[in-house]
Amino acid sequence: MFENIDEVRERLAGQSYVCDRGLATVVYLATRLEKPVLVEGPAGVGKTELAKALAGATGRDLIRLQCYEGLDEAKALYEWEYGKQLLYTQVLREKIGEVLGPTKGLREAAETLRDQEDIFFSENFLVERPILKAIRSETPPVLLLDEIDRADEEFEAFLLEFLSDYQVSIPEIGTVVAEHPPVVILTSNRTRELSEALKRRCLHLQIDYPSPEVELEIVRLKAPGIGEKLAEELVDMIQSIRTLDLRKSPSIGETLDWAQSLVVLNAPNLSKELIEETLSVIVKYDRDAEKVLAYIKGTPERKDVGQREPTGEKPEEAMYEMHRSPHKHTH
Amino acid sequence: MEAVLNDFVQVLRRHRLRVSPAESIDALRALERVGLGEREVVRDTLRATLIKNLDDIEAFDKLFDLFFSLRPEPERRTAKLELPGHDHDHGPPPARMEFAEDAAGEAPESEEHSHEDRESTEFRRFFDDERMRPSRDFHGEPDRMRLSMFSQELILNRKPGALNQAMQRITHQLRLRRARNIFNPGDLVPHSEGQDLPLDVSAADLGELIDHLHELDVDEDLIRQLEAQSDDILRSLPQLIEQMVKRQKELDSEKDDSELRRRSLQKMLDFSPSEQREMEAAIRRIARQIHGAKTRRLKQDRTGHISVPHTLRHNIRYEGIPFHPVLRRHHEKRPRVAMLCDVSLSTRNLSRFWLHLVYQMQSLFSKVRTFVFVAEMAEVTQLFEENTMNGAVEEIFSGRVLDADVNSDFGRAAGQFVGEHLSSINHRTTVVILGDGRNNGKPPNAEALEEISRHARQVIWITPEPRWGWALGGCDMPLYEQVCSRVEVVRTVDQLAGIAEELVRNRV
Repeated sequence: MFENIDEVRERLAGQSYVCDRGLATVVYLATRLEKPVLVEGPAGVGKTELAKALAGATGRDLIRLQCYEGLDEAKALYEWEYGKQLLYTQVLREKIGEVLGPTKGLREAAETLRDQEDIFFSENFLVERPILKAIRSETPPVLLLDEIDRADEEFEAFLLEFLSDYQVSIPEIGTVVAEHPPVVILTSNRTRELSEALKRRCLHLQIDYPSPEVELEIVRLKAPGIGEKLAEELVDMIQSIRTLDLRKSPSIGETLDWAQSLVVLNAPNLSKELIEETLSVIVKYDRDAEKVLAYIKGTPERKDVGQREPTGEKPEEAMYEMHRSPHKHTH
Repeated sequence: MEAVLNDFVQVLRRHRLRVSPAESIDALRALERVGLGEREVVRDTLRATLIKNLDDIEAFDKLFDLFFSLRPEPERRTAKLELPGHDHDHGPPPARMEFAEDAAGEAPESEEHSHEDRESTEFRRFFDDERMRPSRDFHGEPDRMRLSMFSQELILNRKPGALNQAMQRITHQLRLRRARNIFNPGDLVPHSEGQDLPLDVSAADLGELIDHLHELDVDEDLIRQLEAQSDDILRSLPQLIEQMVKRQKELDSEKDDSELRRRSLQKMLDFSPSEQREMEAAIRRIARQIHGAKTRRLKQDRTGHISVPHTLRHNIRYEGIPFHPVLRRHHEKRPRVAMLCDVSLSTRNLSRFWLHLVYQMQSLFSKVRTFVFVAEMAEVTQLFEENTMNGAVEEIFSGRVLDADVNSDFGRAAGQFVGEHLSSINHRTTVVILGDGRNNGKPPNAEALEEISRHARQVIWITPEPRWGWALGGCDMPLYEQVCSRVEVVRTVDQLAGIAEELVRNRV
């Protein structure tokens, strides 16, 4: 698939995916050792994009399974097609009579039936879900298990067999083993700790916000219309905004959104006014925006801005906090 | 290579990073794939295969630098060659040093190990190609010499195997001596300088090294050739060995430190990573048991909606006639927890423990709200969500959230809670209060707690003080106990786990 680490980098770059050598090393190892990769990092640093780029670079299909709370094997792995099974039993009822007609005695009839019985639990009646699809695929695909941290712990446990041996056991059929192991990429936003067992089976890759050089390269690549000077200013600004203590630091995705909106606005360079006007593209919380503005103006930020816990003076706010699930704010 | 990797994994484990055998096998397989050509690639490879927790990455990087740091920086080599106190006499030509026997007695154990470690120096040699950035772990000695510089020169193109062995012996001798002189199991006191290796590497020591070369039947030509080439290297060997010893000490002393810290701070209830993990495991158990894990999966039940697929499936045996409708419904499995945590001085040590506990709770449950109180109550839910565990705890104790240095007054805090936050709890909420129930003579305000308990599903009070202590001083626990659904005395992680078990039995 890949001959060496540099080839990984080049081919990913061919998919407009800029990465550092550490990332390329892990991807290379994953394809060589046939081990799944667990990618962790803040939202919007290109975790999901990695799987897409990898699929593109290797010319493989991308099978994606978006994880969520309550995801179970019926949606991830396989499901019996009950309706079809039922229909077949009804339709075949008379045929069964025919098959059993010439038999003599119950014993023989039962044997004949036993020879036929597995047609109802054959793979014809199996609805493939992403994982099974990845296992049975003729050409090895890239399987993306996105945001695995959102699935339940039970689901993690269920994945273990698949991740270590690329096989699943279906009680009625037996064990399905992948002939060509898929490349598996799991992503996590760390809204909770994953179990040790899962981590042990994966190569671990931490993606963080990129260095200025890499980010600049990404901006050039993904926002082609942008002027050289503007791109540099923009990356500088983003990088320094990330050093502020924000609730949600701008991600690469937001950098690109910003770059593109500046291109649309046809801005020659990054002025204070322009930043103020377009700030909403990169900063998604009011308090963050306040901080960034204060930072841009060079004035010391208001002291109470740093204190972010709800004060309880507004009961609605308190209620809101109570029912907000912890991962919502990662976006 | 196996041996080096094994050593490295041992070091990681000693520093309380958890590495399973399966992971080290992975690492080995991975290294075979990527080769040892580039330092950073090896680092990335080992990190990807061995380290699975983000918190551990920093420690890993440090140890990696330290462990694979036997490398010279080329342009500094010349600068260091003329070393004070070690002149040419210390590098005698090998032909004159022929007393191999006594030196051999020095390292009998190294015989049996040497085959395992054969590749070790070769392995290190591969790290020589790239520049090592000066590690900040060595104190103020950036231009130090490194042992592998010696190996690098020695190995020069010919018979690397034999010379590796020679190097191996040298290394082993050092290790053996270190083992005899320094390593002292169970001794938690950081070693003072006096216990260190004898560092005055004399001409005799150098002689031993050369003897080992002879002992190994390296052909004389090679040795002479090497000698000519690496004369100055040999001269600086004392420094190299010193470096080596220092490095070993660095790798070891940290372990001693952490051990020391672990023991002494267990009382302080500051947590080492392993304890955090232990705690997390305990809390996971609790999470499963305070009304199960967070899930909204449908479960079969006697009530609920008819599930068509399950019904069909179940009734295929009756020709598809639904004799047995299968009903499923959502179970309310999400725990709703409100934590009230005392952070006053009297419970300072324990509240550190508690806040860690709470932090873990919050990362596991989706509906946890956390309040801290001393004399007033403040919500810290968001603070916990946005900060690392230690960061959040520091923030709370810094006094920026509330005044943490006044006398605790649960009565007042509870009153404030009833006034401001009562809407945040409902009949499904479990309220967990962490505190010692000492009001320092102020009114206990048990009515407020009663009000809270009326609104909540249950109130669990966790106190660090054993029951016999309640009678002493101004403790209002007896009063509060009547109002709480239950009161638990928790002082250690073990007890916490014990409560977890109990919660199963009692089906809270």
